Amino acid sequence: MYIRQTAAIPAYDNRRKRIHVEWGTLLIYVVMLSLLMICMIPLIWVIRTAFIPKELALDLTAVAAPVLDNFKRVMAAAPFDKYYGNTIFIVLGVLLVQFVLITLAGYAFARIDFYGSKALFVLFLSQMMIAPEVLILPNYSMIAKWGLTDTRIGIMLPFFASAMGTMIVRQTIKTIPYELEEAAKADGANLFQILWKIYVPLLKPAYISFGMISASFQWNNFLWPLVMTDSVEKRPLSLGLAMFAMSYETGAQWSDVSAATVLVCAPLLLLFFVFQRQFMESFMHSGIK
Amino acid sequence: MKKLICGLMAGIMALSLMACGQSSASAQTEGSTAEDKTQVETADKETEKAEEVQEGSSGEPIELTMYFPVSVGGGPDALIDALCKQYHEENPNVTVKPVYAGSYADTRTKVQAAIKAGNTPDMAIMFSIDLYSLLAMDAIADMDSFCTTDEDKEWLNGFYEGFMMNSRNGDVTYGIPWQRSTIVLYYNKEAFKEAGLDPEKAPATWDELKEYAAKLTKKDGNQVTQYGIEIPSDGYAYWMLQTFCTQQSGFNLMNDTGTEVYYNDARTAKGLSFWKSLAQEGSMPEGIVAWATTPSDFIEGKTAMMYHTTGNLTNVKNNATFDFGVAMLPADETPGSPTGGGNFYIFKGVSEERQKAAFEFIKWMTDDERVAQWSIDTGYVATRPSAYETERMKAYAEEFPYCLVARDQLEYGYAELSTYNQAEVQKAIDDAISYVMTDQAEVQAALDTAQETATNILKDYQ
Repeated sequence: MYIRQTAAIPAYDNRRKRIHVEWGTLLIYVVMLSLLMICMIPLIWVIRTAFIPKELALDLTAVAAPVLDNFKRVMAAAPFDKYYGNTIFIVLGVLLVQFVLITLAGYAFARIDFYGSKALFVLFLSQMMIAPEVLILPNYSMIAKWGLTDTRIGIMLPFFASAMGTMIVRQTIKTIPYELEEAAKADGANLFQILWKIYVPLLKPAYISFGMISASFQWNNFLWPLVMTDSVEKRPLSLGLAMFAMSYETGAQWSDVSAATVLVCAPLLLLFFVFQRQFMESFMHSGIK
Repeated sequence: MKKLICGLMAGIMALSLMACGQSSASAQTEGSTAEDKTQVETADKETEKAEEVQEGSSGEPIELTMYFPVSVGGGPDALIDALCKQYHEENPNVTVKPVYAGSYADTRTKVQAAIKAGNTPDMAIMFSIDLYSLLAMDAIADMDSFCTTDEDKEWLNGFYEGFMMNSRNGDVTYGIPWQRSTIVLYYNKEAFKEAGLDPEKAPATWDELKEYAAKLTKKDGNQVTQYGIEIPSDGYAYWMLQTFCTQQSGFNLMNDTGTEVYYNDARTAKGLSFWKSLAQEGSMPEGIVAWATTPSDFIEGKTAMMYHTTGNLTNVKNNATFDFGVAMLPADETPGSPTGGGNFYIFKGVSEERQKAAFEFIKWMTDDERVAQWSIDTGYVATRPSAYETERMKAYAEEFPYCLVARDQLEYGYAELSTYNQAEVQKAIDDAISYVMTDQAEVQAALDTAQETATNILKDYQ
């Protein structure tokens, strides 16, 4: 996004000066716009169906003043306030612990030279290749033994040590000049101060990109919280949505499903729009190396 | 680079070895702790029981856990909650805690995880066709052993035979029918009138179905604006195929112990060929017809008839802007339809006292009046003939006679496809149907492949 913008500005200036259209640029923009439109169709359709009266939901050409009936019906059918609270608690809790752990682990793998560190890192990374669904049974058994079923901490526990986050942090630290750490050491900083004052500020893009991925994963996580929890008070938003999306036997009730979907994904969409720029930049900084 | 890849591979191998070793070890410890736990629990219960006897008839309060799925719209979860509360009011000693567990498949996962971890629920509503996977896990208790009095036995015999077929293994009953459905024919009366057909007379035979469907198909140039019929062929494809099979004098796709299937039988081929011929003649859309959008197509007038579950009756009733009819499925040699939906199960691994309490609850839930009310509220078929004799059901039938079609058809109800290793065996026939519908294979060839696959899977159980 960032690069494209800077490239576009001179083209725009040229156009104004010479009053001649650069066909190449125009073509690129047409292609980009049409791709954007294709990607936006499902989102637009969901939002439209959520706000249109139920009787018109299936008529694609229907136009009507937006109504909130669908939302009222959905809100009445499930305690969404409780679900929101739980989801936000789980997402923030997991993120907080993850940030601490991936910083420490990433630093250790990047900077501390101990025997077998590379092998250990590879071993650690290989957990990324195991589908989380496979681990539901063993994880559940373990957590049941500790008596933590039907608790929010039980939902969060398996996600605290993240291989992906550790890798992102490690790779980012590797790109930070070691001289910075040496200079801090020369000034008498201890390990904690070095981490806090030197690395943490420089790791911000890495935190944001990982944070987005982790937050959206936790936000959407379904099967694990379903298996873990029994009571409505402990359940996150994704389970609330499922009540509406799972009417297999009768076929979909589009208005209700759309309204519930908007309720569930709106905060995440907003978050993405707010952090969009940092998100893109951080991918350029840390991801594409 | 090579080194890195080698290292990575070695790492993965080491890890998987470790994981294997670990899991079997932990499984052993789990098993023993689970056993210990149940022993401790039963011991606890026994002391409680002893105390109870001393205290007299006051009784210890019990909290039962019941997992349940939701698979139709309209908030059946709220109804289940309300029923559990009502039971507690009538029986203050027993609290039933209903736990929403997602779809049928999710409920199965949750139950399996809970049982493996020694956290077994007391009872659950699960797919009736989960029977054999639950039996393979040795997870469920048989219902006959709880039926000690004549009254109990009479109650157990009071369900429709069509529903009980999916609740038994051989002669032993393991499930109690609850949210059950069957397939019926929905038709648009206005489209019938337009095509010059009698709107009060639905097609009664395969030939009539074919004839009506052709007459009801409307074209605008080469573009079809209204199909004659839609029969969904994804997700529940095997279920739809079963309609055509059971209509041939009750031939079904499997035996009643879940160990054998008859996918490449001549009658299966006849049924599938008839189904396919509707598409070949242009009165049904080519390719796969989606389960979820078929009701919407019907409500919007894109198809004049559809095969769908009775669970949809309330949905269609509330949303169709035209006059519609519901009828029994057209017959070949005989009428016929498979049943579907969920049963109550009681689990092993909880104390006898809790099992008995769960049994009493299930008996209360399937009382005539409640079964009737549940059917009226959700559109599921009432599971007991006697429920149709209740005042509230009679009143409802007067107002909306089509709710009786499913009941009349239950006389010809058959078991839904249910075998050991259900998921894979079911996928074999679903795949065959989708190959035929998308013209990738001939009927007999596709069915032969499906039979071979299924026989291989079921070999261990024969």
